[in-house]
Amino acid sequence: MSKKQIILGAQFPGVNNFTVWSDPAAGSQIEFASFRHFAETVERGKFDFVFLAEGLRVREQKGRFHELDVVGRPNTLAILTALASITNHVGLIGTLTTTFNEPYPLARQLATLDILSGGRAGWNVVTSPGAFTGANFRRGDHLPFRERYERARDFLETARSIWQGGDFHIRSPHFDIAGRTGAGSLPQGAPVIAQAGDSDEGRELAASHADLIYSRHGTLEEGQAFYADVKQRLAKYGRSRDALKILPGANFVLGETLEDALEKQKAIRLQQVSPKNAIVFLEQVWNRDLTAYDPDGPLPEVDPDVAVEQLAQGRAARYDNRLETARAWRELAEREKLSIRELIIKVTGRKQFVGTPAQVAEEIDRYVQADAADGFVFAPHLTPGGFDEFVEKVVPILQERKVFRQDYAAPTLRGNLALPETWQPVAKAV
Amino acid sequence: MTQKSTILLGFGLHANAHGDDLDWRGFWNSLVGRLDGAAEFLTLEDRFADPGRDGLDAILLANWLAPRSRDIGIIAGAPLNFVEPFHVSTAIATLDYVSAGRAGLLIQRLDQHRSRDAGRAIGTLKGFPAVDPLSLDSDTLAATEVVRRLWDSWEDDAVIRDVASQRYVDGEKLHNIDYQSADFRVLGPSITPRPPQGQPLVAFGWTTEGDLALARAADVVFVPAGTGFAGVAAKLRGEGQGTRPKVIADLQVRPDVADVAELVAAAQTSVAQGAEGIRLILPALYRQIASVVDALVPALRADLLVAQPLGGDLRSRFGLPAARNRYAAAA
Repeated sequence: MSKKQIILGAQFPGVNNFTVWSDPAAGSQIEFASFRHFAETVERGKFDFVFLAEGLRVREQKGRFHELDVVGRPNTLAILTALASITNHVGLIGTLTTTFNEPYPLARQLATLDILSGGRAGWNVVTSPGAFTGANFRRGDHLPFRERYERARDFLETARSIWQGGDFHIRSPHFDIAGRTGAGSLPQGAPVIAQAGDSDEGRELAASHADLIYSRHGTLEEGQAFYADVKQRLAKYGRSRDALKILPGANFVLGETLEDALEKQKAIRLQQVSPKNAIVFLEQVWNRDLTAYDPDGPLPEVDPDVAVEQLAQGRAARYDNRLETARAWRELAEREKLSIRELIIKVTGRKQFVGTPAQVAEEIDRYVQADAADGFVFAPHLTPGGFDEFVEKVVPILQERKVFRQDYAAPTLRGNLALPETWQPVAKAV
Repeated sequence: MTQKSTILLGFGLHANAHGDDLDWRGFWNSLVGRLDGAAEFLTLEDRFADPGRDGLDAILLANWLAPRSRDIGIIAGAPLNFVEPFHVSTAIATLDYVSAGRAGLLIQRLDQHRSRDAGRAIGTLKGFPAVDPLSLDSDTLAATEVVRRLWDSWEDDAVIRDVASQRYVDGEKLHNIDYQSADFRVLGPSITPRPPQGQPLVAFGWTTEGDLALARAADVVFVPAGTGFAGVAAKLRGEGQGTRPKVIADLQVRPDVADVAELVAAAQTSVAQGAEGIRLILPALYRQIASVVDALVPALRADLLVAQPLGGDLRSRFGLPAARNRYAAAA
């Protein structure tokens, strides 16, 4: 049996502490030259797509703008369309919220990107926190929390009606709109749809409506469990197991030897989790001002404050049970004799492939062949040169192993991902 | 003041101009190739929700054209009443980065008929204006103000990358705009750092006397050439000290006749009436573009001192001062 072909996505490093700005090699986060370098490099490496995250409000900590991490980014659709102009093959996937967009304008913009890129547009469909992000938009906090997935699904189906071209007349729980488009059918029929939610609702939305799922499952076993769970959901929507690709987010660190790579990884993690950043992370769980604590000292003895509202705004809320998380972190810190900063470095790590180019290539391949993933969306820690070495050294090894393309086989993103070339209406769950 | 000064030349296009050409990319690529170097700027009107003719999103098309052109200013349109000012502000700021300071925003205040179509395409939503002329006008003004304030919401030196204090950005140099209009509120700051021009150029197309407030909010106003031009130009010229908008005459180039002498005469009249530039409108662009670029443009250059494109950022080409940031503390 031939081996599974690996899918590679390239996330532009951006607004979070994984992007190391203090390194001398770190370039501009906003100049077009950075985006050009990034996209041209990964296209040279035959990557499937460039991937952009979204953030529609500057993050805050304790009522002030969060100053420690990279902040500032271009408009997602605008920069992707500019990149479409200077590339020929690589896919262009943007994260765009269904909460603070409306179906007609967004569907038309995605159609524009698909047309101007010759069929390389992708949309990572997300929902946004209402009150915080809503402060920047006309409609404000317009959507009850429990309805955000319902609106997302409704939005996606509405967008698909619009992409079919000609007259559209939608009357649904969330939309009452009508018009007639002149775009005709799109190069891909519809942009490639990605979904990132990990909840049961998110998985179900992916199974019914998405082409890609962007996940966060680090270990091989977690990845396999997630993979099996999501793939088995496809059948009830009449979709084959190949119709949805599973792509965890991941990082990599390359070295001359494994020891060299591990040393580099350690140095990068220290850059990513600066002393002040360690305290900010701890404050997300403790929900108290911890600036008086020494980042190189032990964890606070005081318990998290569960009464007041969140200190951190504009981040995905990751810690549902503060007291439980604090207890587990204290245990871990005591057992392994970790300072606050060392603990945060440990608990905030993502899946990392660390080693020589050959080791990293082999490990990526192992995850994919073992059905822990169909590929990965890699986020390097440096802008804009974070993929230079990967493209030069890891990609050729994947190609030699015959698990990654020598060249682009299809003109469209959908084609390169080996997805159905034209979109077919999704059957209702049976 | 009798010395003749040069005037600017631009083209007024819309983002559905490819017409029946199915190769949209080929059409736009060859068009921008023709215009780059021949004209100082182009405007791209957005045909938002025009039934069956809505074409491409103009701001995205502008971002696609920018990397494949060198000199031409690109002024992209948005119907501000029907979209999010926040998204428009970041998309034009991005265009300014991609084009290295050649970006502008064309404020589109759709007429009543088009507004009804646009309203149906987005639905009736809280935070968007009612579709009547007064509401649409005041909302356009408010949305323009929001777009502009968001461009200023980052000071130029907000990104500090200060390793000693472990800070990437100086939070004191980011500013909430906290703008409240009749229909909506936007807090800010932008997610996009202040664009290269600070304030990308803001343009507006004059249609009626009721447009005075909108014209005042713009840096550049396009006014139809002809009988009414002199009066409107004088009115706009009478506005304020130093901040009056630049007035550009719109010249229709009829598709059936391409009488170069007649068009040059019309342009000369507009200039005599105070036009600081000419924008050529080609109703059948696809068929007209070759002859206009090859015959009319050279004639305008010869007879009217239309300058060779100046290059540099778009504001300076229109003679606009460097944009001061309204939120930056006075130096």
